[in-house]
Amino acid sequence: MRCAIAGSGVAALAAYATLRHGGVPAEEIAVFGTDDDPTAQWRGRAEAIRQRRMRSESDGHLAPASFPGLAVREAARRGSLRPLIQSVADRYHPTVEDFLAHASEVRSRSGWDRSFVAHRVERIRAVDGGFELDGEGPFAHVLVATGHPGLARMPGTVHAYEPHEYASRVAIVGAGMAAATEWLNALDAGAEVISVRRREPVRRPLNVPRPFFSKRGLSGYHALSNERRAAKLRELAAPSFPPGPAWDKPLETERFRVEPEPPDGCQVIAATGFLKGYRHDPLLADLVEEYELTTHGRWIVLDPDSTVPALTDDTRTLALSGVAAQWAFPAADTIAGAKYTAHAFLRRLCRTR
Amino acid sequence: MSYTLTGRIQSRIVATLPALLLALALHRWWAIELVALMLAVGLVLDVVVYHRALPYQPAWVAVPLGALELAIVYPSMRYLGIMAPLRLALLLYAVAWLSAQVFAHAVFPRLQLEYAEAGGEPGRAGVLTAAAVAVTVVGGLGAAYAVRPPTIHLHGTVQGPLVIRHAETLVGGVVQGGIRIRANHVTLRNVTIVGGEYGVDIEHAQHVMLDHVRVLHFALDAVRALDAGVMIDNCSVTAPAGPFTTGILISYSMGRPMSMVSHCTVVGVREGISTHSSMVDVMDNHVVGTTVRGISLSEMSMDMASGNQVESARGIGIICMDHSLCDIKHNTITGAQVDGNSDPSRHGVAIEAYFYANATVAHNTVIASPGGVQAFDNSTIARN
Repeated sequence: MRCAIAGSGVAALAAYATLRHGGVPAEEIAVFGTDDDPTAQWRGRAEAIRQRRMRSESDGHLAPASFPGLAVREAARRGSLRPLIQSVADRYHPTVEDFLAHASEVRSRSGWDRSFVAHRVERIRAVDGGFELDGEGPFAHVLVATGHPGLARMPGTVHAYEPHEYASRVAIVGAGMAAATEWLNALDAGAEVISVRRREPVRRPLNVPRPFFSKRGLSGYHALSNERRAAKLRELAAPSFPPGPAWDKPLETERFRVEPEPPDGCQVIAATGFLKGYRHDPLLADLVEEYELTTHGRWIVLDPDSTVPALTDDTRTLALSGVAAQWAFPAADTIAGAKYTAHAFLRRLCRTR
Repeated sequence: MSYTLTGRIQSRIVATLPALLLALALHRWWAIELVALMLAVGLVLDVVVYHRALPYQPAWVAVPLGALELAIVYPSMRYLGIMAPLRLALLLYAVAWLSAQVFAHAVFPRLQLEYAEAGGEPGRAGVLTAAAVAVTVVGGLGAAYAVRPPTIHLHGTVQGPLVIRHAETLVGGVVQGGIRIRANHVTLRNVTIVGGEYGVDIEHAQHVMLDHVRVLHFALDAVRALDAGVMIDNCSVTAPAGPFTTGILISYSMGRPMSMVSHCTVVGVREGISTHSSMVDVMDNHVVGTTVRGISLSEMSMDMASGNQVESARGIGIICMDHSLCDIKHNTITGAQVDGNSDPSRHGVAIEAYFYANATVAHNTVIASPGGVQAFDNSTIARN
């Protein structure tokens, strides 16, 4: 086996599909994870917040090539130009249902199940010829795609990403995409909604400004000093959700208000996202400790291609995907981010073939 | 897409490929010149405007940018004297614009996984293709320059008739007695022709261009093109020597490339601009004081008349006749005059379809013309 993916979520599937598209046989790839369904965890969270549409756009899918995107597929399926017109105007957001259906198609087409190994990786060690994952291997090229290290919980509250119903008075802590979705859900359920937040959310269509998704914005970002890059990441991590009447109109009601603290006697939902930083991920924390990897704040310092410099050379690759790769790609915790890492990982494989 | 400057330039050059292939297939120098012009305009805008003004470019912006580039390319084409028939030029532009969209949104993202995150840089194969396209365009321009016809400057008055039997460009001067063109790729620029039966007589020739040509005191037709493909721009036809004259007559040219008559002024002739069995774009001309018809599109022609001003025509302003198919749009016909009381088809008709002709009319302005817009003798007029 030449390469391994530690983790079995959507980022892992994006990477796997890219490797397969690049001509790497399924027998050459091992995917280690706890669930053979790559969308299981993501689906659970989307269901918890009753998400119906993706924040991503037409190319927010897990297939290796961005064309045909989800808008083209939907247009062909429905025999309608509407998705294409919406996509041209950056107004197209696929349904969660379509995204998951397409992910399932990518899974079956790519041969994912042939490479899946039901095992949670706890330790990665550098050895001759690459890396061993809990004694398995060696693998010349390893991609760590373990995802978010856990939910940022508040004591005595339910997290937005856990199954829940709505009481008649609901305080929702947070101001990002999940919080905004929960405001609308709770209002829709007839509840009185109190938004608890420390600062006003940023309104932008995607997680980060669009130039950061391409070399145009990334070249400047990669040229920043560590201090300034960390500051930029903190700035970009501010809670945000898309602009538009679909989000604003429902809030124009007396049943919605903003307060600094949750009032007594109401249900509190923590839409506070995830734990942040490599220290919360045991696998990454172990790697940093064992190999004294360079870090800055809560981030592992990576090369622009998402590889760990100290453990990557001409013969082997250790790369991070998902939120842990933000040092290389600010929107690493998006589908675009997963693909960015996957493309770079495939490039390295092709170079060392 | 957030393009890098390199990405914009490489993507644009590669996406020119279909238009370039079409231009090569057309076997016409003007087509290669036009592709080069479109590319040059686009690249200048990329570097000077788009890269700075558009850090992110939504797909819909391609529509106004396409219109902007067309608005620059068209007058540039005219200014540079590229002899492109309007419809084919627009077709070539449409192919270039459409292929740019198809490449940017489908071909590149399909073939190059990292296309979007690389800021539109199409990778090594893209660079090679861009280089091949650029070399072909530059090579084509070089070849066009190398084989261009010789230019002859006329000084003072030359006694004609001049007979041109080889490709050449004739510039300036006054020719007495007319010019006969019997060769392809002949250009007359800023030439005045006085007298002769025909001012300019073109037979069995194509890629002929008359640019800023003045014709006066001619006995029959100021410009006569028979079995010819001719581009006539900014001409002036005045002071005919007799009553039975035609300003510009293009006939039996269906087998030749499309002809075009634009921005010409024709005064005081029997018929201003007349076509027979030809495909001609008659655009933005000023026809004044004709005694039979202002503009006549006839005898199974497939023509377009648009943006013309026809003033004080006796009988008929614009006529589509004898099995012709005509597109008549955005013209202004003023003061078409009644020519006797016996024939209603000459009763000051501004726009007329006659004898099994089919005309489509839209957005024309008719002033003081008692006959209005009418069809006669098994003809139809469709209003869009």
